[in-house]
Amino acid sequence: MNANLAVITDNLDYLLWGRLAQGEPGGVVLTLLMALGAAALAIPVGVVLACAAWRYRGGVRRLLFLWAEIIRGIPLIFVIFWLWYLLPMMTGGSLPGAVTVTLALAWFTSAAVMHSVLAGLQALPSGQYEAAQTQGFSESQALWFILLPQALRNVMPSLLGILIALLKDTSLAFIVNVPELTTVAGQVNNRVQIYPMALFIFIAVIYYLLCSSLGLLARRFQRQAV
Amino acid sequence: MLSALFSRSAAQAAEPYRLRQASVEFRNAGKSWGSNQVLRAINLTIAPGEVVAILGPSGSGKSTLIRLINQLETLSEGDILIDDRPTRQLRGAALRQLRSRIGFVFQQFNLYAHLSALQNITLALTTVHRLGEADATARARALLDRVGLTEKADHYPSQLSGGQQQRVAIARALASDPQIILFDEPTSALDPETIGEVLQVMKQLAHSGITMVVVTHEMQFAREIADRVVFIDGGEILEIATPQSFFTRPEHERARRFLNKVLDPLHTEDTHHADF
Amino acid sequence: MLTFDWQGVLSGQPLQWILSGYLTTLWVSAIGMVLAGLLTGLFLLLRLAGGRIGRGLVATWVSLFRNTPLLVQLLFWYFAAWNLLPQGLRDSINAPHSGSVLPGDVWWLSPEFLCSAWGLAAFTSAFLIEEITAGMRAVSPGQVEAALSQGFSHQALLRHILLPQGLIYAWQPVVGQLLNLMKLSSLASGIGFAELTYQVRQIESYNAHALEAFAVGTVLYLLTGMVLGLLLTRLPVARQKPARQARTSTQGEPQHER
Repeated sequence: MNANLAVITDNLDYLLWGRLAQGEPGGVVLTLLMALGAAALAIPVGVVLACAAWRYRGGVRRLLFLWAEIIRGIPLIFVIFWLWYLLPMMTGGSLPGAVTVTLALAWFTSAAVMHSVLAGLQALPSGQYEAAQTQGFSESQALWFILLPQALRNVMPSLLGILIALLKDTSLAFIVNVPELTTVAGQVNNRVQIYPMALFIFIAVIYYLLCSSLGLLARRFQRQAV
Repeated sequence: MLSALFSRSAAQAAEPYRLRQASVEFRNAGKSWGSNQVLRAINLTIAPGEVVAILGPSGSGKSTLIRLINQLETLSEGDILIDDRPTRQLRGAALRQLRSRIGFVFQQFNLYAHLSALQNITLALTTVHRLGEADATARARALLDRVGLTEKADHYPSQLSGGQQQRVAIARALASDPQIILFDEPTSALDPETIGEVLQVMKQLAHSGITMVVVTHEMQFAREIADRVVFIDGGEILEIATPQSFFTRPEHERARRFLNKVLDPLHTEDTHHADF
Repeated sequence: MLTFDWQGVLSGQPLQWILSGYLTTLWVSAIGMVLAGLLTGLFLLLRLAGGRIGRGLVATWVSLFRNTPLLVQLLFWYFAAWNLLPQGLRDSINAPHSGSVLPGDVWWLSPEFLCSAWGLAAFTSAFLIEEITAGMRAVSPGQVEAALSQGFSHQALLRHILLPQGLIYAWQPVVGQLLNLMKLSSLASGIGFAELTYQVRQIESYNAHALEAFAVGTVLYLLTGMVLGLLLTRLPVARQKPARQARTSTQGEPQHER
């Protein structure tokens, strides 16, 4: 058993923060950076799209739904591939791999955020918007001051669920060799070879702790909402 | 008079727009939902400062009538003139400007659930009317005093009773110093013991200079405060009269039947029931 | 600007790879779905009839497989758990057999296929269990009481009353999970499983036609998802409209669907 744990303790720093000292974050640190980065992009974008879909009922909404269907209809891996190849062409240079994956995650997740927030807006009693109309609020003002504050609070559990999925999805960076936790564990496994059990259980535990604590937070929100 | 309360801040308000006279005129107005005609050939003139009660059975179109005034519903035919100016084509900023001159009180109160009573009133003041924070708060507190809810300023709608919520809603509707105020069955969703406190506030509002249109089932109340009563059934105005003549000598057949059912529910003139 | 050479991807060796990969994806998805269904049924019964221990076990299973990434699970099954199997069994699987090839030239008796199918099934079952539980909660408790007082066993109660109705309520999210399984099979390329995504990357390294290969792969996944979705929502189960579309989560964790 000692030998088994040695594979973790020997590589612990690499697993936890990669080559941070050399300016190349990895491991858990990179996982968290990518997840937070993608969330910071996906949530505002998703909210804006939801507002657009809520406000412009006809063609715009259908277009947005179509976009969301296509994005969610292909495996996330492919979204990563597409951005991996198209972004360098567009930006002319090479972006760090982690940034590309983060952008792909944000793109993919914003569709889910849009659906969630739109559902939240539509679930509000229609009287809230009517009252705002009678007072002379414009649509944007009504959304910003009256509808979104309530809708976002109501869909918080759903948004946290989306974040949990996002955290897990960072593991897909494995496919393009970006050194977040799963990739790093794979690298260690390739090198050491003989103790895969300890290694993969270890990273599973880390993911489990991260995801389930978000889940606990979400459950607290659900209880408050009732 | 309510407007005296705001005469100081009216000069400071960024919003100089006011109606010259708060009159409402329906000119051959009609509303249909697809093939279903909900309102037809509505002709009605409401004078500035007048109090008009709109009565009728459920499904008669009275809610739709009042909601057409501030365009919560849109006209299918005819026009509505406010301050002698047609309003049907109004959109965007012009419509919002008009709406800020009209207060609306809903049957379901529709208070902003995430804001306190005070904030419910100050929000439109700071956002739509661009008042300063201090001015808005002062005005809001004065309005809460007016409706008897000074100590509930920081309470949230979920912490207030129905009657209290409706009074806050009335205060909110009065925040922009409207010249016309519309009530859509304001007491229909209230427990009987709280109806009185709301009617009190409305009674004080009546004849204070503001044009008031009330859709209601409270017959006694209508009788007391209305200058005129409008009876509507099946989407048409069937009778317009003073409360005195309407409640004692209704002219239209259906008006008579309606009053009988409402004032004496057990003994309507329906012959089936008489044969027990 | 960009020139596309579709010939380079839709003929010869690359085409072979694409077809092989696509069929592999279809087979592993199908078998994964069946396995997932079996696991889900088993765990639902355990939750219903297994008392506190049973419910605890199911909750643990669900929590474990929903809070860890699928890729990590696949890596675990393939690199770690596989070696726990007795050597004899592993050898016999690796040896060629007459029945170990599915139509379309897909080898199912290989560590990659088995780990992928099992991994996908275990992961998806965790979500299906929660979705269907939520659906069953929407069935009025009165029916459960009626059945129990008639002497139904737990198994019969599940099979005849709770599951049929629960599935109707939960059909939308269930379809979503099954479609997810098909799309998530792409992750198995990470353990060297030669499904569609693996083959697409193969082409990319073969003749550098990355964009064309990605495009073909994208279209195939999109179309398959659409067709599968249409088929599943045409089933008689989906026809019966539930009284309400209760997209609420169970008392457990909030719904995250991936």
